[in-house]
Amino acid sequence: MSETQEDTGVSSKGLATGKVGTFSGAVLGISSVAPGYTLTASIGVIVAAVGLKMPAILIAGFIPMFLTAYAYRELNSRAPDCGASFTWSTKAFGPYVGWMCGWGMVIATIIVLSNLAAVAVEFLYLFIARVVNNPSIADLAGNKAINIATTLVLIAIATLIASRGITTSERVQYVLVGFQMTVLIAFAVTAFVIVGRGDAPAGLSFDFDWFDPFTGLTLSAFAIGLTGSIFAFWGWDTCLTLGEESKDPTRVPGRAGLLCVLSILATYLLVAVAVMMYAGVGVEGLGLGNEENAENVFGALADPVLGWAGPLLFLAVLASSVASLQTTFLPAARAMLAMGAYGAFPAKFASVSPRFLVPSYATMIAGVVTGVFYTVVSLLSENVLWDTIAALGIMICWYYGITAFACVWYFRKELFSNVHNIVFKFLFPLLGGLMLASVFVIAVGESMDPENGSGASIGGVGLVFYLGFGILALGAALMTIWRFRSPEFFEGRTLSDVPS
Amino acid sequence: MKLIVGYLATPGGADALALGVRLSRTLGAELGVSIILPPDRTVPSLVPVGGYDEHLAEQAEHWLAEARASIPADVVAGTHVSFDDSYADGLIKEAARVQADLIVVGGSGGGLAGSYSLGSVVNELLHSAPVPVAIAPRGSRHWSENRVREVTCAIGERAGADLLLDTAVRFSRAAGTPLRLVSLVALDPMFGTLRGDDDAVRERALAHAEHTLETAKSQLPEDFPVTSTIVDGRTVEEAVSKLRWHDGDVIMVGSSRLSAPKRLFLGSTAAKMLRVLEVPMVVVPRDQFEAGDLP
Repeated sequence: MSETQEDTGVSSKGLATGKVGTFSGAVLGISSVAPGYTLTASIGVIVAAVGLKMPAILIAGFIPMFLTAYAYRELNSRAPDCGASFTWSTKAFGPYVGWMCGWGMVIATIIVLSNLAAVAVEFLYLFIARVVNNPSIADLAGNKAINIATTLVLIAIATLIASRGITTSERVQYVLVGFQMTVLIAFAVTAFVIVGRGDAPAGLSFDFDWFDPFTGLTLSAFAIGLTGSIFAFWGWDTCLTLGEESKDPTRVPGRAGLLCVLSILATYLLVAVAVMMYAGVGVEGLGLGNEENAENVFGALADPVLGWAGPLLFLAVLASSVASLQTTFLPAARAMLAMGAYGAFPAKFASVSPRFLVPSYATMIAGVVTGVFYTVVSLLSENVLWDTIAALGIMICWYYGITAFACVWYFRKELFSNVHNIVFKFLFPLLGGLMLASVFVIAVGESMDPENGSGASIGGVGLVFYLGFGILALGAALMTIWRFRSPEFFEGRTLSDVPS
Repeated sequence: MKLIVGYLATPGGADALALGVRLSRTLGAELGVSIILPPDRTVPSLVPVGGYDEHLAEQAEHWLAEARASIPADVVAGTHVSFDDSYADGLIKEAARVQADLIVVGGSGGGLAGSYSLGSVVNELLHSAPVPVAIAPRGSRHWSENRVREVTCAIGERAGADLLLDTAVRFSRAAGTPLRLVSLVALDPMFGTLRGDDDAVRERALAHAEHTLETAKSQLPEDFPVTSTIVDGRTVEEAVSKLRWHDGDVIMVGSSRLSAPKRLFLGSTAAKMLRVLEVPMVVVPRDQFEAGDLP
């Protein structure tokens, strides 16, 4: 056998460069956030904690996520790696912190997968019920057995598609984002019009005090509300990491990120103010504080506000959550693949399917764990969506917070070398990290009281505490076991700590 | 001569490799084993990038190393990993890069319908490749015979088979194997045919086939070892299954007249043959490509 050297080399990636501009970058970012899905899942959670202060909490949640996104950007441009938070925090703080950060990231994606599937199922039945004009179909989503079965089927289908390497095309994402944003804005405007006519059930008048976080809020309510709001802004940093694919790598990602996050913030505030003015935050009827509606605000409000066009909102949320379910398998599998590749997880997680050339094993595991997670939480809680969102907020605070601090520490030798570094490598990440850390500590403490969540509890301690802090503790236990079974990663032999 | 195998570490990939080895050995050709990987892209989701391509490439190199280890020592072989959004396009580009004379692929493992169940990649290649494409039937990886025994060339009814015949001759000569010319006569009643005397129709079709074969034979060099056969049946499938096959046979068919110039397009007759045949099939473009035609 003979072989020439260049024959074994790896050819260029053949990336289509120079494609993504500011606007399309922003669209990609918006589709990662999936505002239709996010709003319906988080409005109830936020209102339950802070009532009319929802706009203030949305802005307050936006700030740490905005600041931390810059830590992502800086780390990603210096040390791009598909392990992201896991790799960076290992490099900055060593294998133990890195492992726990990676665990938080994996669990966050698992929780959001289960929540996405559940929201999709809810809206699937709502949509079918409206289209065939049979309201009893919508109640099927409330039947625990049917709900779990449908959700599992949906997760299984999504897993199968993802493990074959099939993803939603960019064109589909564009259409979905356009559709979602149009329907959401139409919904908000219609709600305002109804309020203006004086036909709204609550008909509150606008008050600037809604935007003031410093009056009439306890610290605990503030922190719990923030977990919901932090979840709402999760994902927009995608457009900051657009690198070689953008038209002008020095400008496009920053502008796309700003455009994306400002349009999301504006949409959130618009919809939040609209639903509050329309429905109020009362616990009766359509009020946002009504526990019946808390986990699915659009489900309750679509028809009263939009009338015949109500199903369009159902369809927008359904499509948004199904598309997100599909795309979220990628980061879930990617995180596990990275941990497997560096020896932090069993090596099998890093394996690539010889047929589909994607990490099918990690994808399958993500699907199975998501299914198990959803089933267990469903059996334990009457308000799965609510509890999972609260737990998700805690998990995001955990791993985003660690990443923010990792940025400061990783760049410690060059933090003050110029203004850019002072702002984006030091101040922004440090402030973001401190805020996320405080929210994490307070939210975990408050989650022990079932009354701060949906009310589900085990032995008098809130379910959210187990889902948030408990799963992190489980991670620590698994890490210890893995430390003894396979010490390479923990001895720093697979991923070295060399801040460049 | 150079051959290039579109490889995957699957049973289908092993089939392709086995056919590649058999053809390389017979033709004295160099064998390139290639994997085309999907490039990582900033997809619209929370995917962190960086290092993933390298991980994938490392895995691919590992598979290729295993594939190489299974190639007998008398075959000159090299391996290559490249990235492309489309497996078929990447393979065509790779074929152009190394100036390969033939692309070898597996007819996709695990199909229910017969030995060939075309995967989307193979299907795309059969409708766009600028060079001949050889498809390994399922199970090729279990072959014991490892040289080509005889080349069968399916001559169509109409003109346009010249490059096919040339390629078949060139191939047989390089391989030192005999050539068998075959004309398939499918008598399936079609719209527009008068339901006349069946025998007369058959006679006419057979006479035409005879004529085509004779014309083809007359174009061959004097001393060339060639045989010719006419098989008929109600359908193409029935006709083709009347042919006798031995281990080590290869069939060559021409591209459809519908193809873009100098590109393959799997015709309906060839597609029908693919469904029932259990021998490797080589689909040859209508006309010779030149260097400028390659991507």
